[in-house]
Amino acid sequence: MVGMSAAIIQGVPVTTLDTDIWVDLPERQYIRLLNLVNRQGGAGLAPTMYALADGSLVNFIFSMTGLKKFAAEYEHAREMLWNGLKIRVLPLERIYQSKKASARDKDMAHLPILEKVIKAQKRNEGKKKR
Amino acid sequence: MLKDWKKVYRKIRGMRGLSEGEKIMIARSLAATPDERWRMHENFLRSHGLFSHWQRKASGFKW
Repeated sequence: MVGMSAAIIQGVPVTTLDTDIWVDLPERQYIRLLNLVNRQGGAGLAPTMYALADGSLVNFIFSMTGLKKFAAEYEHAREMLWNGLKIRVLPLERIYQSKKASARDKDMAHLPILEKVIKAQKRNEGKKKR
Repeated sequence: MLKDWKKVYRKIRGMRGLSEGEKIMIARSLAATPDERWRMHENFLRSHGLFSHWQRKASGFKW
């Protein structure tokens, strides 16, 4: 999981309208994701955007701006227990990095709160400031 | 867990550049479990009638 949904489950007090999932697939294989969503009762809205059966949105990401390749980032992803599942989430520092590199208005708007929570998280976990 | 937020608050209360409200909000969010954090996020959307894609479309959102 990446983006602000990954930030939320790591303690950033924000909200988001979709869950970003980075998939290690070539974009031309998006039909596999569409089939998966359809089997769960969801529907495709655009090649990367899907509405699940409960109305929540999932956005599949094929490449992330400003980050290393999937395998390199996955290796350092945080493992968390969420909804009874063990999942890998992009650490807050890497989310910050990708948002800064994307530099769209909506990404830039998230940088201040991400920065504050990264600092607070370090204090809470007893890590010294860099 | 969310109920332990005051322990986190004590650790971050000396941070500069955060208002008192922000410190409490961040302490609560960091103290919560991933499931509690997600529930707070979903509850927020539901409280505004914005949880599902279809509710949001009806309110004029693109997605």
